[in-house]
Amino acid sequence: MADGQDVKERSKGIGARLMRKEDDRYLNGKGRYVADIRMPGMLELAFLRSPLAHARIISQAKPDQTDSWVFFGRDLDGVSGIRAVSGLPGFRPSTQPILADEKVRHVGEPIAACLADSRAKAEDLAEKIDVVFDELPAVHDMTKARDKESPLLHEDWEENSFLESNADINFEAAIAEADVIIKRSFKTARQCMAPIEGRGLIAVWDRNLELLTLYSATQMPHIVRTGLADCLNMDHGQIRVIAPDVGGGFGYKGILLAEEVCACYLAMKLDRPIRWIEDRREHLIAGANCREHSYEITGYAKADGELLAVDCTAIVDSGAYSSYPFSACLEAAQVASILPGPYVMKGFRCKTWSVATNKPPILPFRGVARTGVCFALEVLLDGIARELKITPEAIRARNLVQPEQMPFTNITNKFFDSGDYPEALKRAVTAIDLDGIRKEQKGQTGRTRIGVGLSIFCEQGAHGTSVYHGWGIPMVPGFEQATARLTPDGGLELRVGVHSHGQSLETTLAQIANTEIGIDPEKIKLVHGDTAYTPYSTGTWGSRCIVMAGGAVGSACELLGERIRKIAGHLMQADPADIKLEGGMASAGRSTISIEEVARTWYLKPQLLPDDVDPRGLDVVAGYKTTKDTGTFSYACHAVKVEVDMDLGHIRLLDYVIVEDAGTMINPMVVDGQVYGGAAQGIGTALFEEMCFDASGQPLASTLADYHLPLASDLPNIRIEHMETPSPLSRFGQKGIGESGAIGPPAAIANAVNDALSFIGAEVAEVPMTPERVLSAIAQAEFSKTTEGDVA
Amino acid sequence: MTETTVDLVVNGAPVSELTEPRTHLADFLREDLLLSGTHLGCEQGVCGACTVFVDGRPTRSCITLAASCKGAEVRSVEGFDDDPLMKALRDAFKRHHGLQCGYCTPGMLVTGYDIVRRLPDADAERVRKELSGNLCRCTGYAGIVAAIMDVLENNPPAAKVQPHARTPQKTEKSAAGSIGTASGVASPAAAERNVPASIPAKSSLAGAPSLSRTIRFNVSASDIWAIVSDPEKIVSCIPGGQLDSITDGNLLQGKCAVSMGPIKAAFAGTARMDLNEAEKSGHVIGRGKDGLSRSQLDGMLDFKMTGLPEKGSELTLDMVYKLTGPLSQFSRPALVAEIADRILDQVAASIEALAKGEDPHETQPRNLNGLSLMASVFMGWIKRTLRFR
Amino acid sequence: MKPALFDFAVAQSLSDAQSALLGGQNKLVSGNQSLGPMLNLRLTRPAGLVDISRVPELRAVEEHENYVRFGAAVTHAEIEDGEVPDPTGHWMRNAAANIAYRAVRNRGTIGGSLAHADPAADWVIVMTGLCAMAVVKGAAPDATLRTIPMEEFITGPYSTALGPEDILTAIDVPKPGQGARWSYWKYTRQVGEFAKASAAILIDPANNRTRITIGALGRQPALISNPETILDGSKSPMEALSVAIPDQPATALHLHAVALSRALEQIKVAKEFSA
Repeated sequence: MADGQDVKERSKGIGARLMRKEDDRYLNGKGRYVADIRMPGMLELAFLRSPLAHARIISQAKPDQTDSWVFFGRDLDGVSGIRAVSGLPGFRPSTQPILADEKVRHVGEPIAACLADSRAKAEDLAEKIDVVFDELPAVHDMTKARDKESPLLHEDWEENSFLESNADINFEAAIAEADVIIKRSFKTARQCMAPIEGRGLIAVWDRNLELLTLYSATQMPHIVRTGLADCLNMDHGQIRVIAPDVGGGFGYKGILLAEEVCACYLAMKLDRPIRWIEDRREHLIAGANCREHSYEITGYAKADGELLAVDCTAIVDSGAYSSYPFSACLEAAQVASILPGPYVMKGFRCKTWSVATNKPPILPFRGVARTGVCFALEVLLDGIARELKITPEAIRARNLVQPEQMPFTNITNKFFDSGDYPEALKRAVTAIDLDGIRKEQKGQTGRTRIGVGLSIFCEQGAHGTSVYHGWGIPMVPGFEQATARLTPDGGLELRVGVHSHGQSLETTLAQIANTEIGIDPEKIKLVHGDTAYTPYSTGTWGSRCIVMAGGAVGSACELLGERIRKIAGHLMQADPADIKLEGGMASAGRSTISIEEVARTWYLKPQLLPDDVDPRGLDVVAGYKTTKDTGTFSYACHAVKVEVDMDLGHIRLLDYVIVEDAGTMINPMVVDGQVYGGAAQGIGTALFEEMCFDASGQPLASTLADYHLPLASDLPNIRIEHMETPSPLSRFGQKGIGESGAIGPPAAIANAVNDALSFIGAEVAEVPMTPERVLSAIAQAEFSKTTEGDVA
Repeated sequence: MTETTVDLVVNGAPVSELTEPRTHLADFLREDLLLSGTHLGCEQGVCGACTVFVDGRPTRSCITLAASCKGAEVRSVEGFDDDPLMKALRDAFKRHHGLQCGYCTPGMLVTGYDIVRRLPDADAERVRKELSGNLCRCTGYAGIVAAIMDVLENNPPAAKVQPHARTPQKTEKSAAGSIGTASGVASPAAAERNVPASIPAKSSLAGAPSLSRTIRFNVSASDIWAIVSDPEKIVSCIPGGQLDSITDGNLLQGKCAVSMGPIKAAFAGTARMDLNEAEKSGHVIGRGKDGLSRSQLDGMLDFKMTGLPEKGSELTLDMVYKLTGPLSQFSRPALVAEIADRILDQVAASIEALAKGEDPHETQPRNLNGLSLMASVFMGWIKRTLRFR
Repeated sequence: MKPALFDFAVAQSLSDAQSALLGGQNKLVSGNQSLGPMLNLRLTRPAGLVDISRVPELRAVEEHENYVRFGAAVTHAEIEDGEVPDPTGHWMRNAAANIAYRAVRNRGTIGGSLAHADPAADWVIVMTGLCAMAVVKGAAPDATLRTIPMEEFITGPYSTALGPEDILTAIDVPKPGQGARWSYWKYTRQVGEFAKASAAILIDPANNRTRITIGALGRQPALISNPETILDGSKSPMEALSVAIPDQPATALHLHAVALSRALEQIKVAKEFSA
C-alpha cells in the first residue's frame, strides 16, 4: 500500500495531488474575465429596471434626442421572449420578456436599455427615462400564492402555479404498522448565489463573418447559443458564444439572460460592440434567486426506529418566470424524487407545487433541491429519534442502505451505484468525538450550551438522459464529447464543451489524459468555453464535469492512443498492442520513441509512414456516456459541534467534520477544495444568507452589507475524511462531488442546535438560523414550559 | 462635467490621466490604465476583491475616488513582480489550493501580504478575523488561511511594500479648486417629472408599517380642527412639505423632502383629503415619487379631534406608510421606522405650535413615545429570562 | 452602479473647506468609506465633494492636560496602531481595531464616522460613552470653536448638531482618572458588520463620571439615568432598559439588555486605568 501511495504522490495522473495549471495567471492578475475585455467602439449598457414588483406599464417615454441610445421592448424587432417549457403534463409556460413593456412581474426586471460610452453615463441616461406604472398587489408569500384572492402574475393562468406533481408509492400500506407519527414544518429562505464576479457580457457583430460573438460569464456557452438562436430567430451558425475566465458560477451562470438577448440584438442593430457588466445591486435585486422551499412533512416509524414512510407537501417558490434552460420545475421534481435520501423505506408520498410569485425566477444553486430536502428529512429524523428516545446515530444506522445491498434501487427508483453509507456515519461520529461531546454536555449548566448534529445524504451527479427527460427539463443531456488533438510538438490539446470556472478542469482533465496516454500535464492545453472550438455540451452543472467530460477525455485519449500506437508501431517495428504510452514516450519492450517524434512524423514527415496509414490522423472526437445514465451517487456524512448562546441566539461552530466518498479521486486537493467551498456555502444557507421581501415584493437586501455571505471568521477549520468507493458506472470510478459540500450543513447544524436546546425542547425549523429565529424557538419553548408551570 | 487630472504613481511608474471626479480608483486602474487585475465584486466596500495598496496600505479601491489619490503611490496585483513576500504568498496559495475561480485572489493577496507584514505572530483564528473583509465564494477560505499561515510560519521574506508615514502636514494656503457649481444636481425638471397623479388603493397599504400618536392641547378642539382641516396649514406642519395646488376640492398636489443623512429624497405627488366635519375626523391618502431614485412613498393618515371634558382637546394620528423602490431595499427597517417616527413627532409639534400662534418651523419636536406592539410570547419570555440577571 | 456626477476639490486648509460649504450644495468627505457606497448606489448626490482628509488642522493631534484633541481626519487605523496617543490607555485602540475591516480602517476617519452618525457605528457609542466632546467650527471667518458633548452632538440617525456650514474639526477625549474602568460590548454576528446591539460602561470615580450608554438603537445612543442602580445590582438591565428605550421592538430590547449584561460582566474584571 505504501508503495502504491508513493507512486500516486509522484505521478501526475489520476489520484495525484497536482498543483493547478490555471493558478499562475490568476495569481498574477492575468486572468481575463469578461469585464476585462475591451473592444474598439464599445458601448456600455445599463438597464432601467422595475422599481415595483407587480405593475402594469402605462407609458414609457425616452428623453429627448435619445432614440439611438435608449431602447424599449417595442424597439426589439423580431425578438422573442425567453420560454422554458417543461415536458410534464399540466405545466403552465411563461414568457419572460427581454424588455418588459406591458407588465413587470418582479423588482429589477429590465424595462429599457441605455447605451453610452461609459457605464456611469449609461446610468445617467437611464435616470432620465419616464415610465408610468399602475401598481398591482404583489404575490410575495409562496404559501398563499395559489389562494383564490391572489392576483395572477400570468393572467391566462388559473392559478399562480407552474406545475403540481404527485407521487405515491405504497404509502397507505406502509404506514399501517407505524408506532409514531412525527410532523414538522420547515422552510428554507430565498438566497442569492452571489459569485464574487457577477454576470457580464460583450456582444460583437462581425460584418465580415456575419457572425454574432457573445462573450459571456456563463457556465454553459453552448446552451446560451441555442437559447439565443431561439430568441433572436437566427441560425446557430451565425452565433458564437465565448465564456472567458468566469469568476465562480454555482448555478447562477447557468441561465439564459434577457440581458444577453437584448445586448446581442443591439450589437447587431447598431453594429457596435456592447458591454454589460452586472453590478452587485443588480445581482441582489434582479438576478435569479434560489432555494426557497416550504415543507409540511410527516415521518412514520416503528418503535425500534425503523422508518416506514415519509409524507410530504412541498412548495417551491419559483418566482415570476420559468428560466431557461432548467425551467421552473427542476427543484420540485428533485424534491419529489430525492426526499427519501440514503434511507430504506416502504412507503413514500409527496405532493409538490412550483408556484409563481413576484420575485426573480428561481435557478438551481449548488445542491439544487438536495440542500432543502436533506434539511427537512434529517431534522425530521432527529425529531423521530427524540420521540423514540434513541440516538440520532442509531436511527440513521437503522435505516441507511447497507453496503451489502449495493447497488440499490430505492423507493423512488434511484439507483445507488456503490458505497458504504453506515461506515461514513460511523467515521463521522468517531471523528467529531460524539461520545466526548455527550460527556461534556452532562456537566452543562447555564445559558451557553453545546450540541452535536449529524446529517447524511447521497448526491446524484452526472445523471443523464433518462433522469432529465423524466423530470421534464427542456434541456436533456446525452453523450458528452471531447476532442483530443496531438500537436506537432508532442503536446496535447483537449477541447471540451463544459466550462471550468474554479472546478480546476484545466488540471484534472490533463491528469486524466496523462493517465491514458502519458503526456505530461505541462504539455496539455485545455480549450474550453468557446462554441467555435469545442464540441456541443450542455455545460457545467449537476456535478457532471469530472464524470462526463472526464469520461469523454478518457475516451478521446484512448482513441488517440490507438492512433499514436499505430504510428509508433510502424516507426519502431512493434505490434501496437504491445506499446505502452508513459512519460511522454511510446515503448515496446526496450525500444522507445517519444510521442513528440510520433507527432512530428505524422504532421511533418509523412514520407516515413506507409501508404496504407490510417488517414484519420491524430485529431479525434469521442463521445461518452456512463454505463447507466442514472448518475453516480457520492455521499457524505457531516458532523458538527456547535455552541448556542441562548441569550443572543448566536450559534458558533466549534468543530466540523465531513466524511466524503467521491469514488476515485482524480485530484484529492481539488476534491477537498470543492468540499470546503461547498460546505462554506451550505453554512451560509444554514446561518446567514437570506433575501427577504416585504409585502409589496420589494427585496430587502441590495448590498452585501444586507445580504450576508459567510466570512473566513465564521467558519471553523473543517476536517475532511475520504472514503474511496469507485463507481461502477463511470470510466475511472469517479463520482460527481461538486455540489456535495453545500447539501449537508443546514441539516447538521440545525440538528446540533436542536440537540443543544433539547433540554428545553426548543427546535429551529427554518434556515437561516438567525438570532431572531433561535431566540424565538427558545422563547416559545421556555414560555410554554413556564405557562404550563403557571397553570399547574 | 469637467474632468480632473489625476497624477499618481502606479506600480512604480508615474501616471497622469484625465478622468471624471466620480471615477473610483478601481475603475481608474481598470478602464483608464487597463490594469484589469484589480477586480470589482460589489462597489459597496464589502467584498474586498478590489483591495490594492495605496501608500502602502490595503485600500478598497471601489470606494476610494481616484481624484482623492492625487500624489499617492498605488500598487495593484500587477506590481509585485520582484517582490519576494508576494512570491512566497503566491506559491503558498498554489500549494494550498487557496484559489479556485481566481476572482477574489488579487484582493486576498494584498490582504494576505498586509497580514504577514503587520501581524507576524498571528494564529489561524486571527488570520480568519483579518480576512473577514475579503469574500471568497469558492474555497471556503480553507486554502487561503492555510496558505497565509504557511507563509507566516516559515520565515516570511521582508515586505518591500511598507506603509508610508502619515504625518500631519504643514499648513499651506491654497485655493480649494473650482467647487461650487451644482452640475451634479439633477435639474428640478428631472426630479419633478412624472409626478404620480394616482392615489393608492387603501388595500395596497395592508400590512405596511404603522405609527400612532395622541397629542393633548390646551386649546379647544375647534381651534385645532381649524388647523388640521386646512390643507395649507397642515401641509406646512409636515417637515419639508410643500403644497403646490388643490384640485377638485380635496386633491392636493405637492412635495415632501425627506432626508436621512446624506440621502435626500423629494417625494412629489398627490394626496386626497376627506374630512368629516361632524366627527372632526379626516382621512388623507396619497402617493409621492422620488423622481431620481424611482422610489415611491405611499402614505395614509387618519386623524380625529376630541374635545376633553375639562378643557382643551386631544388629537389622535394614525399613520401607515409604504416605501418601495431603491430606498426601501435595505435590511435596516429600524432606520426608516425611526425617521418616520421623527417626522410624525415634528408634525405633532408643529400643529401644537401653530395652535399657539407660533411659527411651526421654529419648534423642536417633542419626544413622544409611540405605542409599539410586541408579541406577548416574546415579552413574557423576556421578562422571565432576564428579570433576575 | 456608478455615482451621479459631482464636482470635486481637495481642501488644503480649513478655510478652503469652509468656503466650499457656503451655499449648502457641497459635502465634506474624508475617508469616503461610508459615503462611498451611498455615492456608488446613487443614494446620495452631492453637487460637489470636498476632500478634507489632508487638511493639516484636521490631521493634528494635541495632548492637553485633561484630554487629547484628535483632528477629525485621524484614521481608525492610526488609533488602532497607536500612531496617535490614546488618552484612555488602550480603550480607544481596542474599539478602533474592531471597526469594519482593516482596509476600511486605513481610510475611514473618526470625524467622518461621527459626522455621518450611523446609529450602529462604533465611535458614535464609544465617544458618547467616554464623555467626549465634538469640536465644531462655524462658518464665520472669526467664529470660535464650539465644543458640544457627544450626546448632544449626535441627534438621531445620520443626524448631528452640525449646521449646514459647520465643520467637525476635532474630538476631545477626556483622560480617565486613576482607577477608572471601562467596558464596551457589541453584538455583531459577523466580523465587521453593523452592531445589532451595544453597550458601554464608564466608571471614573476620580472625575465623578459614571456613564452607561446603549448604542445601535436606530437613533442616537441612549444614556441610562442613575447608572449606579444598575452597577450595584438594584436594577436589572432589563428593568433599566424597559424604561430607557421602551419603544424598541421586543427582540431588540432583549438583545440590548444582553449587551448591557455582557458589558456589566466585563466591567467587573476590567483593569483599572492608570496614567
